[in-house]
Amino acid sequence: MRYTSLILVCVAPFCIAQSSPPGATFGPFLAENCYTCHSSKAKTAGLDLEAFAGRASILEDRATGESVLRMLKTGKMPPGGMLRPREADLAAVIKKLEDAFGTSAAVTKAVSGHVPPHRLNRAEYNNTIRDLLGVDIHAADDFPQDDSIYGFDNIADALSISPLLTEKYIAAAEKIANIAVFGPELQPEPVRFDVAVPRRMETTNIVRITKPAYNSMSNYDVTGLSQPGSYHLNYQLPVTAEYVFRIIGAGNRPAGSEPTHCTFWIDGKIVKTFDIPDVSLSGFERRPDTWEARLKLPAGTHEFVVAFPRQFEGLPPRYGGPNPSKLPEPPPLDPERFRAPSTDNRPGKIEERRIAYERAKEQFAHPTWEGLSVTEFDIVGPYNHVKGASKESLQKIFICGDQQPACLRTTLSNLAARAFRRSLVAGEIDPIVKIAESAQRRSGSFERGVAVGIQAILVSPDFLFRIEKTSVSDTGPRRLTDYELASRLSYFLWSSMPDEGLMNRAADGSLKNADVLRAEVKRMLADPKSRALFDNFASEWLEVRRLESLNPDRDSFPDFDDYLRSSMQKETELFFENLVRNDGNILDLIDGKYTFLNERLAAHYGIPGVRGKEFRRVDLSGTNRSGVLGHGSVLTVSSYATRTSPVLRGKWILENILNAPPPPPPPNVPSLDATSAGTSATLRQVLEQHRANPVCSSCHTRMDPLGFSLENYDAVGSWRDKDGKFPVDSSGVLPDGRTFQGPEGLKSVLRADKDAFASALTSKLLAYGLGRGVESFDQPAIRQIVSRLPADDYRFSSLVLEIVNSSPFQMQRGAGAP
Amino acid sequence: MNFVTRRHIPRRSFLKGAGTAIALPFLDAMVPAFAGAATTKSPVRMAFMYVPNGIIMKDWTPTTEGRNFDIPRILKPLEPFREDLHVLTGLAHRTGDGAAGDHTRASATYLTGVGPKRTTSADVEVGISVDQVAAQAIGSKTRLPSLELGCEISRSVGSCDAGYSCAYVNSMSWRGPSTPNPPETNPRQVFERLFGSLAGIPDPTVRTRIEEDRKSVLDSVTNRTRQLMAEVGSADRHKIDEYLSSIRDIEQRIAFPGGDRQVTPEIEKPAGIPPGFVEHARLMNDLLLAAFRADITRVSTLIYAKESSTRSYPELGFSDPHHPVTHHRNDPDLVEKVTRINCHHLEQFADFVRKAKAIPEGDGTLLDHCMLVYGSSISDGNNHIHENLPVVVMGRGDGSLKPGRHLSYPETPMTNLFLALLDKMGVHTEKLGDSTGQAAHLTDV
Repeated sequence: MRYTSLILVCVAPFCIAQSSPPGATFGPFLAENCYTCHSSKAKTAGLDLEAFAGRASILEDRATGESVLRMLKTGKMPPGGMLRPREADLAAVIKKLEDAFGTSAAVTKAVSGHVPPHRLNRAEYNNTIRDLLGVDIHAADDFPQDDSIYGFDNIADALSISPLLTEKYIAAAEKIANIAVFGPELQPEPVRFDVAVPRRMETTNIVRITKPAYNSMSNYDVTGLSQPGSYHLNYQLPVTAEYVFRIIGAGNRPAGSEPTHCTFWIDGKIVKTFDIPDVSLSGFERRPDTWEARLKLPAGTHEFVVAFPRQFEGLPPRYGGPNPSKLPEPPPLDPERFRAPSTDNRPGKIEERRIAYERAKEQFAHPTWEGLSVTEFDIVGPYNHVKGASKESLQKIFICGDQQPACLRTTLSNLAARAFRRSLVAGEIDPIVKIAESAQRRSGSFERGVAVGIQAILVSPDFLFRIEKTSVSDTGPRRLTDYELASRLSYFLWSSMPDEGLMNRAADGSLKNADVLRAEVKRMLADPKSRALFDNFASEWLEVRRLESLNPDRDSFPDFDDYLRSSMQKETELFFENLVRNDGNILDLIDGKYTFLNERLAAHYGIPGVRGKEFRRVDLSGTNRSGVLGHGSVLTVSSYATRTSPVLRGKWILENILNAPPPPPPPNVPSLDATSAGTSATLRQVLEQHRANPVCSSCHTRMDPLGFSLENYDAVGSWRDKDGKFPVDSSGVLPDGRTFQGPEGLKSVLRADKDAFASALTSKLLAYGLGRGVESFDQPAIRQIVSRLPADDYRFSSLVLEIVNSSPFQMQRGAGAP
Repeated sequence: MNFVTRRHIPRRSFLKGAGTAIALPFLDAMVPAFAGAATTKSPVRMAFMYVPNGIIMKDWTPTTEGRNFDIPRILKPLEPFREDLHVLTGLAHRTGDGAAGDHTRASATYLTGVGPKRTTSADVEVGISVDQVAAQAIGSKTRLPSLELGCEISRSVGSCDAGYSCAYVNSMSWRGPSTPNPPETNPRQVFERLFGSLAGIPDPTVRTRIEEDRKSVLDSVTNRTRQLMAEVGSADRHKIDEYLSSIRDIEQRIAFPGGDRQVTPEIEKPAGIPPGFVEHARLMNDLLLAAFRADITRVSTLIYAKESSTRSYPELGFSDPHHPVTHHRNDPDLVEKVTRINCHHLEQFADFVRKAKAIPEGDGTLLDHCMLVYGSSISDGNNHIHENLPVVVMGRGDGSLKPGRHLSYPETPMTNLFLALLDKMGVHTEKLGDSTGQAAHLTDV
């Protein structure tokens, strides 16, 4: 009954368009714009559009038709260097193609793609182990990186196995099985976190911080939690035990300051305060101090923060801070000493002294100091950890109380069925039971038998691969079995195995029922495990996963510390999770007028009134930000280390918001000399070549305007009205002539064609959910999904449900098909 | 999810002494040195050490040829070993069209001599790499046919270089045209691969029991996987087959015949990945030396940094990432920075060479029995030139090489050098990638 919606309803205009030969409708357009390369004679890239036009009906060659539609719609064809067709002609042809194919699958039957055996990727492995056995050790973090294609690292085709990976699977299986059954056996080890270049309060070198992360010396976060120099870490402790935390701080306060403190917080509470006695030194040397605390903590993720409270208090009166020091201040360095006569008058030396004089004068007039910060944080442990398996693991594994031989079989059968995500066939468990029994005999321990049985399960291909079997001769599509559907669903929404509820629905056949399926989807989206949609889908789709490894230039952006970086990541995470958990409108991703901020990030954005380190929802009305294109994370990953790039940002938008990636640049494009940007020319002027040169302009007229509209955001996402000496010009002109201004203008343009965005998001979410690339035969399903979204206000759950109900999702095709 | 930045990856300090009592582990696999070697001849070892993004050639290329060549700035750390050093100029890689994606192509062709297929999908295709040619020929003589090591953890995802899959940069060793062989970057994991993970278990009956359990697990996997192969459609079999052949590889390795002699490794078990580049590189050097010494393998690749690496080296006093600074446009400050990075890398290689020379072996030293190739697939990083590539060969290959010279070749494929080295190792191959024969003059005086 689900298919009735997919069968073509032959409405008159559809039929006419379908039955008329393509040559008549499209011939002139193709001849003018395509035959230069794609004629029967030239057949560039194997494509013969003359033959296509010569067919009796456009439906005879769906693949080519869909491909042409896609290429025209995304602007990929005609390619760079060729003249573009008139916009009106292009729009008409696109419309006719879309009408011809409609939203139905092929006239006679639904089509679907082929998903090869789908190896669990690293995130899926970690999550599955956690849900299967209650062991959360992230063993896969040591596995080699998974290859990614179509922008995601969960695509079946790209997930291969090397001998190295197999070795790791085998070693991990042993380690996990032992931890699950016997509990961890950990030796104390140090884990060390380096703060690469510690944040300084004000620098004494040439660069000054123009926008510090605080408002003024009397209006700032006195707890120190959101201040520069503070340290923030979320870390998962492997086991309940004692741990030693070692904090190495450095920096100093001006001579004559009063003693101060450093506070160490765990999970929002101060656990220890360390004194910082008089740290005055005559110079501005770093002097490391080491502080230690030994505490017992439960296993799990904890938040560790080191802060320096009241850092502007107790300074010498000359510095102008609140509650100044009452201690005597040594006289400041007299700049004049650098002008005293000297015997060393070599040219270099005179210059050195002149510079020192200028600096000292500056210091005299505007005193600064290094400030205190954390340079290293160590966690050593676990000491005296709790021995034995966790309650969770024991519950999941030992389901029969005694140690009878039958119990071994029952235990392993239960685990294997859950691990293989289906019911076992007769006799399937026998080889595993045999191994377990031998191990039990060898060691004399029932638990040891179970552990070795678990090892065998965890290296079985039935566990490591999700296989939707197709037989040798299979070419047609088939509907997935309920177990297969349950697996697809849980790896889509949770990046993990189905839970008991979902498995039960699969087992009793009720998953076929549309209402039951809808209820399961809603339940799964509301479950905390749906955070996997951010961790694995959104973080790759929006490219924010790259934020981890980016290094904005320290001289240009001294404000960019790791706390800011992690805050940016958190903002996007919470924004997306809010969409998922609270079933928001997907168009908010473009221009939702709200976000989630802590004090640090709000200060970075210049948004007042946000205090404290907790994230909270903030209304953005009246500000110059909205949607994900206002997020620091997105703005930073689409920039270079030293400057913005309208091209990168334009490309980001084309790829991720419109699913219309530009082709690669032509060969031998020289790298851009952008040193003059901001000083003697605007960046727009420097990029003028893109408009002037016709070889460049065909692609860049699509990309650059989008990126220029975001030029008010610098390379780390703060608002600026000037780039260097020049005011920012954020106007843009699209190839079709429409003009727009600034980020709000950009959002209106994107909003005006919201179906393009909806279609892009659908394609990407579908590829992610299927574990294969989206093909031309999926396009009707995608168009159908997009057409249904407005009826439910573009809710995220609607999108997910439509995808789950679509034929590409519910079907598997044999690889034998063309 | 723990949010940890790259700089905050748990970096387990390699603590020496106080605080961490790490006992020297016992081996679980019996690997005597020079297994089965009836002769006193020491085996020849081959290793390829790689550095990315090109080299400032004016500080690399000696101005004179032959025996009395001068040692330019970057090669200075190798000066004490000039008698073991071959400096070769004039070798080249043809990497196909000049379109964007140069670094990826450079990475893919370096050890293969084949231009990679331009794809971002799963259908990657290049060619077999020289180290794997060797491994397939002589790898059965050692427990590990080859060892792939790297110092750069790849955390970034997404596209790598216009139109090319990241697979080409993540691996430089290829077991076959479509089978990348990625390196291991965690020293602790390398140690466990070399010397076993049954460290700290003193009771031999317990160790035996664990080994038997492991064997039975592997057997069951093999059986089930074979069975599954028959159950899936033909197009899907290759995925399962990848798994099956990997398991077979491992079984062979475990069953490798050794006597009863156990080899105690000369180094302590590392705690994990060290925080700095120098520590990391040197730890990898030590592990490779230990592997060569105990004859666990004779073939290796050690990637000090991946092609197009953006790693920065703050220990040099500046924080510029590597790749961008190599596009120096002849700015003298930037050129100087690149040279300093080049020197820095070479010092880590020199560390390996020095240690190899200090290990007595047979009638000489370990270095005498090595052929170590250090180089890059790009010469001028500013303009992405792949001719006149920077490459040195250290070691004497157990007498098959006559080093102590600067040899200049007329535009010759790099693969000719590889073919020659393979030949001297006793691996006779007609062709590798774009080779046109064996590079001459390495053996004559």
